[in-house]
Amino acid sequence: MAKALKGDSVKEIAEKRREWMKDCYSKQNELNQSFSSLSGIPIEPLYTPEHIADMDYLRDLGFPGLEPFIRGVYPTMYRGRTWTQRQLAGYGPPEETNKRYKFLLEQGATGINGVFDYPTLRGYDSTDPFARADAGRGGVAIDTIEDMRILFEGIPIEKVSTSLVTCQPICNISIQSMYFANAQNRGVPLAALTGTSQNDFLLETVVTIAPGVLPPEYSFKLSCDGIEYCTKNAPRWNPISFAGYNYRESGCTAIQEVAFVMSNAIACAEELLRRGLPLESFAARLSFFLSGHSDFFEEIAKYRAARRLWAKIMKERFGAKNPRDLMFRFHVQTAGVSLTAQQPLNNISRAAYQALSAVLGGAQSVHVDSYDEALCNPTELSSLTALRTQQILQLETHVTHTIDPLGGSYFVESLTNQLEKKIEDMIGEIDNMGGLVKAVKQGWIHQEIANTAYEYQKAVESGSMPVVGVNCYQIEDEVLPCDIFKIPETLSIQEKKLERIKKERSAREVAKVLDNLERACTDGENLMDVLVDGVKSYVTEGEISSALKKNYGIWNPPLF
Amino acid sequence: MSRSKRIIMARLGMDAHWRGSIVVSRALRDAGMEVIYLGNQLPLSIVETAIQEDADFIGLSTLSGNHMILAPEVLRLLHEKGADDIKVVLGGTVPPDEIIPLKQAGVAEIFGTGTSLKKIVDYFRS
Repeated sequence: MAKALKGDSVKEIAEKRREWMKDCYSKQNELNQSFSSLSGIPIEPLYTPEHIADMDYLRDLGFPGLEPFIRGVYPTMYRGRTWTQRQLAGYGPPEETNKRYKFLLEQGATGINGVFDYPTLRGYDSTDPFARADAGRGGVAIDTIEDMRILFEGIPIEKVSTSLVTCQPICNISIQSMYFANAQNRGVPLAALTGTSQNDFLLETVVTIAPGVLPPEYSFKLSCDGIEYCTKNAPRWNPISFAGYNYRESGCTAIQEVAFVMSNAIACAEELLRRGLPLESFAARLSFFLSGHSDFFEEIAKYRAARRLWAKIMKERFGAKNPRDLMFRFHVQTAGVSLTAQQPLNNISRAAYQALSAVLGGAQSVHVDSYDEALCNPTELSSLTALRTQQILQLETHVTHTIDPLGGSYFVESLTNQLEKKIEDMIGEIDNMGGLVKAVKQGWIHQEIANTAYEYQKAVESGSMPVVGVNCYQIEDEVLPCDIFKIPETLSIQEKKLERIKKERSAREVAKVLDNLERACTDGENLMDVLVDGVKSYVTEGEISSALKKNYGIWNPPLF
Repeated sequence: MSRSKRIIMARLGMDAHWRGSIVVSRALRDAGMEVIYLGNQLPLSIVETAIQEDADFIGLSTLSGNHMILAPEVLRLLHEKGADDIKVVLGGTVPPDEIIPLKQAGVAEIFGTGTSLKKIVDYFRS
C-alpha cells in the first residue's frame, strides 16, 4: 500500500512489471480471447502495488464494523454470526407452500423467503381473467388475509424472520398489510416482527412489466408509504429491499445494478425526509438485494465497492452521523439468468461458485438457486441441494474464519476502485436527469437495460461468452437427469375460498374500507394506515389494486 | 419482391419477464423483419391484433408456465376466426414433456431456454 511502500518502490515495481511483460509475453502467446470483466472492464494479466498506488489503508479500507465498511459491516462478520440462509419458496395455494416453509425450517434454513405468484405480485386476484392461467405459478397465491393466515399457520412469526418478496409496491401495499394484520390477529405486536419486504417501484415500472402498471410517481409513493409505516410501527422490519438482483436478471451489468439500487435508495431517502421523518429513523433499515453472477472477482469487488460508496453517499449527501446509517447491508441470490436448461446438474456448481463469491464479498444473507430453475419451480430435492450447498460453504470450506479474505489483493482492490468510480459516475448521470423517478418516466432506464441485455445475448451467441452446455460442450439429445416439478392445482382452490369469503364477509365493511382507501388516495395520506386494519375485513388484493388504479391511473411504459 | 415477414410478439397473460421477448424482437428486427411488440396480452387480443395486422407469425413468450393453458387458446381462437395460416411460435421455459402436447395442439415451433438467436432468426426467415 502507498503508506507502506515508498513512491520510488512503486515506480520500480511498475518498471519491473513492464520489463517482465515485455520479456515473457514476447515468447509466450496468450489465448486468443479478450480478458475483461462481465461489465466490460479490461483485466490485466497481473496486478501489483502500482495498481493501487493511491490507496491509503486507514482511509480507504479500515476495519470491519467501522467506516468506510468496505471490509464488512459488522466487526466480527461470520465469526460472530453466519449469514442467513434464506431459500426462496412458494408455489400453488398457501396450503402447499406452508408445507415447504416448514420443510425448509426443519432442514436448518434460518429464515423464510416467501415468493408470490404472478397475479399476487401484480395486485390481481387469482380469479381475474388476466390471472387465471398464472394462479400459483412462480410463487404462492394470496388473495385475502385468510390465505396469509394459512400460509404462516404453525410457523412462529415472532421468532422467524420473514422476507416477503412483494416485488411491486402495488402488491406490497396489500400483502404487507395482510402479513401485519395476521400478526396482530395472532397477538404478535408489529414491533416484534423481523423481516424484509421488497417493495421496489422499479420492479413495477421497468424490470417486470405486466398489464396495468401504475404511473412511476404513484408506484414510488406506495413504496415510500410502506417504509414510512414500518418506520413508525414496525421498527425491526426492513421495509424495502432495493432489488438489484431483478435489475440484473433483466440484463443490467454489475455497474448498472448498483447504480440503480443506490439512485433508488437516494430517491426514497429524499422523499422520506420531505415527509418529515428524521434520517436516523429509517436509514439503517434500507436494505439491498443483489445478484451473484458468474464473474467471480467482479462480483466480490462489486459488493465491496457498494459498501464503501454507500457510506460515502449517506455521509456526504445526507449528513448521516450514526454509523449504522452508513452500512450497506445486502442479500444475495445466485443469478437465475446464468442457469441453463441444458445439463441442469451443472447449475449446482455454478450456484456454488456464485454463493462463494457472495460470502467472500460479505453478504448478510444468501439464497442459492436450485439446479432445475431453468426448467420448472424447484422440487423438494433441488431446494434441499441448494440449502446443503450453503451449509457446505459455511461449515466445510473454512472461508468464514477470517473477514474479507480478499481485502488487500492488488487485483480485487483495483477492481473495487474501478467499479466504485463507474457506479458513482452513473449515479451522477441519473442525478442530472432529475433523479431515478424521472429517469424511469423518460424510458432511459428501460433503454439502458434492454441494450445491455441484447449485448449479453449477442456475446453468448458469438461464443465470446462461453456457457457450458449451451454454446460449448453441448450434449445432443440429452436425457433429462431430473424430475420436473408440477404446480399443484391452485385456481379451483382459490376460487372456492374466494367465493366462500365473499359470501361470509360483511359487504358493508368492505365498501367502507374501499371508501377510506379512496379518500386516503385523494388526500395523499399513507395508505398502509388504512390497509393494515382494512384487510381484516377480507377485502381482496384485487379490490385494493382496482381502487388504486382508479385513483392513480395506468401508465404505458415506454417501448424498449 | 415479397414484403418482409411480419411478426406479432406478445407475452402471455401475467408473465412478467420481458428480457427474452425483447432480445428476440430486436434480433428479428435487426434481421430485417417487422416486429409488432404487444407486451402482456390475453389470447383474444393477441389473435385480433394478428388478424388486423395481417401477421405471418405470432411469437408467444412465457416463463411462468401458463403456456399450457394460453397457447392452445390462441390456436383455438385463430381457428375459430379462420386465421389458421398465421403460425404460432412459443419461446421461454417449456419443460420437455410439454413439447409434444403443445405441438399436437398446433404450435409450429418451440424455442426453449438457451436457444440461439441465429436459430430463431433462421426459422422465421425460412
